[in-house]
Amino acid sequence: MSDKKENRVMTKNTNPWFEAWRRLLQSKIGIAGLAVIIFLILVALLAPVLAPYDPFEQNILARYKAPSSEHLLGTDEMGRDILSRIIYGSRISLQVGLLSVAIALVFGVSFGLIAGYYGGKLDMLIMRFMDIMLAFPSILLAIGIVAILGPQLKNAMIAIGIINVPRFARIVRSSVLSIKESEYISAARALGAGDFRIIFKHLLPNAMAPLIVQTTLSIATAILEAAALSFLGLGAQPPSPEWGAMLSDARSSLQRAPWVATFPGLAIIFGVLGFNLLGDGLRDALDPKMKNV
Amino acid sequence: MKKITLTTFIILALIMSVFVTGVMAQEQGGTLVFGRGGDTVGLDPIQVTDGESFKVTQQIYDTLVDYTPGTTEVEPALATDWEVSEDGLTWTFNLRENVEFHDGNPFTAEDVKWNFDRWRLEDHPYHIGGEFTYYGYMFQGFPGIIQEVNVVDDYTVEFVLSEKQAPFLNNLAMVPFGIASPEAVKEHGEDYFKNPVGTGAYTLEEWRQGDRVILKANENYWKERAYLDEIVFRSIPDNSARYMELQSGSIDMMDGVSPEDVESVESSDELKLSLRPSMNVGYFAMNFNFEPFDDVRVRRAFNHAIDKQAIIDAFYAGLAEPAKNPMPPSIWGYNDNIEPYEYNPERAEELLAEAGYEDGFEFDLWYLPVPRPYIPQGKFIGQAIQSYLSDIGVTANLVTYDWSTYLDKTEHQEAPTYMLGWTGDNGDPDNFLYVLLDKTNSNNAYESDELHEVLVEAQKTMDHERRVELYMEAQEIIHKDAPWVPLVHSTPPIALKTDIQNYIPNPTGTEKLHRVWLEE
Repeated sequence: MSDKKENRVMTKNTNPWFEAWRRLLQSKIGIAGLAVIIFLILVALLAPVLAPYDPFEQNILARYKAPSSEHLLGTDEMGRDILSRIIYGSRISLQVGLLSVAIALVFGVSFGLIAGYYGGKLDMLIMRFMDIMLAFPSILLAIGIVAILGPQLKNAMIAIGIINVPRFARIVRSSVLSIKESEYISAARALGAGDFRIIFKHLLPNAMAPLIVQTTLSIATAILEAAALSFLGLGAQPPSPEWGAMLSDARSSLQRAPWVATFPGLAIIFGVLGFNLLGDGLRDALDPKMKNV
Repeated sequence: MKKITLTTFIILALIMSVFVTGVMAQEQGGTLVFGRGGDTVGLDPIQVTDGESFKVTQQIYDTLVDYTPGTTEVEPALATDWEVSEDGLTWTFNLRENVEFHDGNPFTAEDVKWNFDRWRLEDHPYHIGGEFTYYGYMFQGFPGIIQEVNVVDDYTVEFVLSEKQAPFLNNLAMVPFGIASPEAVKEHGEDYFKNPVGTGAYTLEEWRQGDRVILKANENYWKERAYLDEIVFRSIPDNSARYMELQSGSIDMMDGVSPEDVESVESSDELKLSLRPSMNVGYFAMNFNFEPFDDVRVRRAFNHAIDKQAIIDAFYAGLAEPAKNPMPPSIWGYNDNIEPYEYNPERAEELLAEAGYEDGFEFDLWYLPVPRPYIPQGKFIGQAIQSYLSDIGVTANLVTYDWSTYLDKTEHQEAPTYMLGWTGDNGDPDNFLYVLLDKTNSNNAYESDELHEVLVEAQKTMDHERRVELYMEAQEIIHKDAPWVPLVHSTPPIALKTDIQNYIPNPTGTEKLHRVWLEE
């Protein structure tokens, strides 16, 4: 608790965000993560330019063709070009990662702020509910939610968003609890600031650092969870080139055509790794104390 | 007459096979591990409808009559011979003597009556433990067309029907109508499905639900004792995982071989491929309750849009033939004069334009969530169909559910279009056309009175030639109305170790294994 307070005092002379950015660029891990993510974003944006073929075009008489100059990563069970599908799949994975985490952020932060700031029975109610959600293994909860909503990518995103809500709520609440007793909050209140102003102008910005780290790491797990749901047939539906769905369809040909499963698998690793590295880099950058502890 | 020649043929074939196999004597003993896609649902055959249950119950129970291995011809089993009255309503069966149930009770005419009464009478004290689905299916409800079952003497039983049923004998040979020991049913009540007692070649040793069923040879079997001492049915849901187990030797045979693996089985020295005679249909149905599938031009357009041969080459390893009728050519009464809707996307587009859908439309296409013998790769074939349909400008959204939900929802006509199939139970055209497409049974709201009249007449006609004519006509009506796109009749492959001898797959999808033996 007191660590954080000192930290804030220490960096108050320069812009703390600029400071963090500078530290991120000094960390090799952070740069690697950033590079991977920028690469992924570029691939997703430029997919129509980069992809050599239409990712949906089938040629069922040319199934399971091994990688060659014609199809760099080979063809899949429907005779589609795997490289093109992975390139287009990056759009889906990024979208899933960002949107589902956005859902988790909006709800998690709101719950955390309300619970932490107002305390009492409301806090009790919200946080015990969050505890109940955390008590379920997250993928099981996601499967349950998708089972109710129906197996679609959209619903998988919602499910992943929902299962991540409690984590954000906890982080924000604990930050709020430590900040709200500090003197500048009392000062703001003495100056007549309303709840709304205090929450959004003072509490939230000061709870931002752990939130950013958690967001980045959550994107990584969200991509993985979406791939898992699609693998189970509960997320993206065919013929969507979602990486997890591609992996799932490749199972039946694992022996005969291993490349069909290998490349989407590598793509998932790559994407998840990128966000995890960035998350680690950000954690170090935003909270230098952590590293030394 | 026909029967005699067939029997002679079989005897000859058997004698021949002895010569051919020469010194290789059939050996007693050994365990066979059979890998399959799912566990048995229950072991009371009248209460189940799935092949994975029948596969096991068929070893434990006998029926009054049975199918000659590899065919749907009827041969004696618990009944040694039978006759039918002039009016076709009274069937008299002479029963085999000296047959014992696994619990030691003798098998008599009383037991036959007791079993049929239990199935057909809803107020029977042991009409419990399920819905007796197949009884209602084949004999038209409860008590259905079997009006009375009379015990004439200890080894003679008489069935009185309220109306003629041409495929009566074929129906009796179906696996669900295995005769259970009344004492065992009384003892176990609702739990009988876990404690099966029949007269069959094998007895239940252990059933570990979700994992395996273990059967032991019945030492007192009324025919020759089974060659194998033990059969283990293991459930391994994933086709490729099951195939890996076969390759590693932890199972001895498997069905549901994925077409991708057929080539590898054929080239292996330790494995061989056995092909189940084709008696099935895989189809794509369009639901009349959903626009625009109430328009025959749209349904015909879809029939023209799909290249069945390409699908067979890609997803069946060639082990199928394109379907033009809802029943397979292996069944008598098949109408080969039907001119199929050929693959012709231009024609399909014309038909769509005529129907007013030149700009296409969007709909849900339900694809099979599990591999079935008639459609081994539902997801892939669904995507192929989706792609063919997008060629003619319509957008199909692929949808699926878990298998039991899928079946339930299609049965309640909730699917706009769906893929499904059927494996014949008894080799009669009625078992395809009436069961799948009659207005009382269809899952896609296809309700043709014209077809209904023909099918019902065919059920009540005993004259074979007349029945053939009627079924030919029925297929023409169906072709004209195009309620489905009939896709394929597949020849499901089964992979087994080369030392497994005398395995004869039956077209009905399951078979008795008591004549199977292991070399060395």
